[in-house]
Amino acid sequence: MAQDSSVEPFAISRIAERYLLFDVDVVTYVRREHNICGVLIGTIPHLSQQNIFLGIPLELMPEEARLLVEGGHAYIVEDVSAHKKGFLEMDRKDRLAFMQLMDQRGMELSLNAKRKAEDRSEKALQQRGLAQGKKENIVPKAPADEEVLKGKNDSPGFEDTSLFSLESSPAPQPPVSQQMPPHFVTPTTSHPPLTSFVPHTSSLPTVPRTYPLFKYLHSKRYFSTPGLRFGCHYTVYPGDPLRFHSHFLATGLDWDEEFDLLDIVGGGRLGTGVKKAYLVGGQNVRERTGEVRAFSIEWAGL
Amino acid sequence: MDMLSTISTVSPSPLQTLLSDPKLLQTTHPAELLTLAFQIQHNLQYQHSWTALRLHTHSPITNKPLPRPLLSGLPAQRLYVHPEEQIHLLKEAEKRRKAASKDGEDDAGLDFKPEPEREWILPTRLSEKWTLNRLSEVFNGIDMVPAAPESADEGETKVNKWRTTKRLVLATVDADSTVVYYIVHDGVVKPRQN
Repeated sequence: MAQDSSVEPFAISRIAERYLLFDVDVVTYVRREHNICGVLIGTIPHLSQQNIFLGIPLELMPEEARLLVEGGHAYIVEDVSAHKKGFLEMDRKDRLAFMQLMDQRGMELSLNAKRKAEDRSEKALQQRGLAQGKKENIVPKAPADEEVLKGKNDSPGFEDTSLFSLESSPAPQPPVSQQMPPHFVTPTTSHPPLTSFVPHTSSLPTVPRTYPLFKYLHSKRYFSTPGLRFGCHYTVYPGDPLRFHSHFLATGLDWDEEFDLLDIVGGGRLGTGVKKAYLVGGQNVRERTGEVRAFSIEWAGL
Repeated sequence: MDMLSTISTVSPSPLQTLLSDPKLLQTTHPAELLTLAFQIQHNLQYQHSWTALRLHTHSPITNKPLPRPLLSGLPAQRLYVHPEEQIHLLKEAEKRRKAASKDGEDDAGLDFKPEPEREWILPTRLSEKWTLNRLSEVFNGIDMVPAAPESADEGETKVNKWRTTKRLVLATVDADSTVVYYIVHDGVVKPRQN
């Protein structure tokens, strides 16, 4: 597997306080190299169980984004302002070049469409036994037809749209494309036309108080995904979630945050029921080292 | 005083025996925490057949008073088998089974019975609030394996090489005296494959 560190540092787009990755190479890279899964939200995001048919963008938890930025692997791009700035302040040369590119694409598209339409009509004619096979019968008629039509219509483009003239003479392509209006293309990416962003993060993602636990588990090479399904903060996997079942249902707490023992009992019971352990942890803010301490809880079976 | 001396032939009530227990007189823990510990001790002893139960008021490491009285005891069967140890034990059992079948003994199941180990027990009430700080203070006060009481002679104490993190049994009692037991590990310990 190629260690494509060339993608680093990569941009994380911040849109409405959500952290998104739009590049599929980066998506696979962070999963492979940084144990960051994120959630694909490309379609029907309200069906989070249905996770096979979702695509990019990949939404990162703020914790994941923060971790990547703190590690120097990524930077945060304020997507709205970056786009406004990028498009409004684009210089004339780039703008013209991009418009030309769009025109080119549009022309390719309309040529393609035209070719397809012609293929279709030819096929239809063949099915009715009018084209190719009985061509000999038709061709002699053609000049007469054309003369009649010419008398009526002097439009210069008319010849080209006539099926018979096209078949009798090899189609002169370049003039056709010049007369054809190009399709209008809506660009689906902003890179190009925008050039790459400046790798600079103005403000770190704001993270919940569970971040120390998340970071601690990540430092132990665990994968974490959102834990709503199990009523906790993170579902923690010992490897890629596609290969492993999760080991822990993790809940992050402040060091002096009071919790009910019923939460521990309930979490432990739920965890054991699904062959996992319930994990509570947090950062010891009383010590200067600020180490994270975690406790794994399982039903004793008594 | 006179009253007491006249009835001295009568044996003291269990309550009086309990209250005059020298162990309890030494401790500085509040009475309700001691009562709680005794309640759990009773439950373990008579409902779960634990033996060699012992009350700890001071840390075996620092000799300072523990945050609250803890218990230690020996369960009837092994309470916790680490998944790695389970794999090891299963392999051993498989070897034994193969050896047995070679010797012509059929019907040798893949049974393994690990020796029971002494466990720490943390008595709690459901109505209590806990914090990570309090939990870690309890863990800081205990060692890996609780010491056996002086009276109980267990003979050779084998060291389990799989027991590498501190653990305790969290005993939580509700107002209706239901007790539930959960194992709490100090650190990230992968779950058992029940």
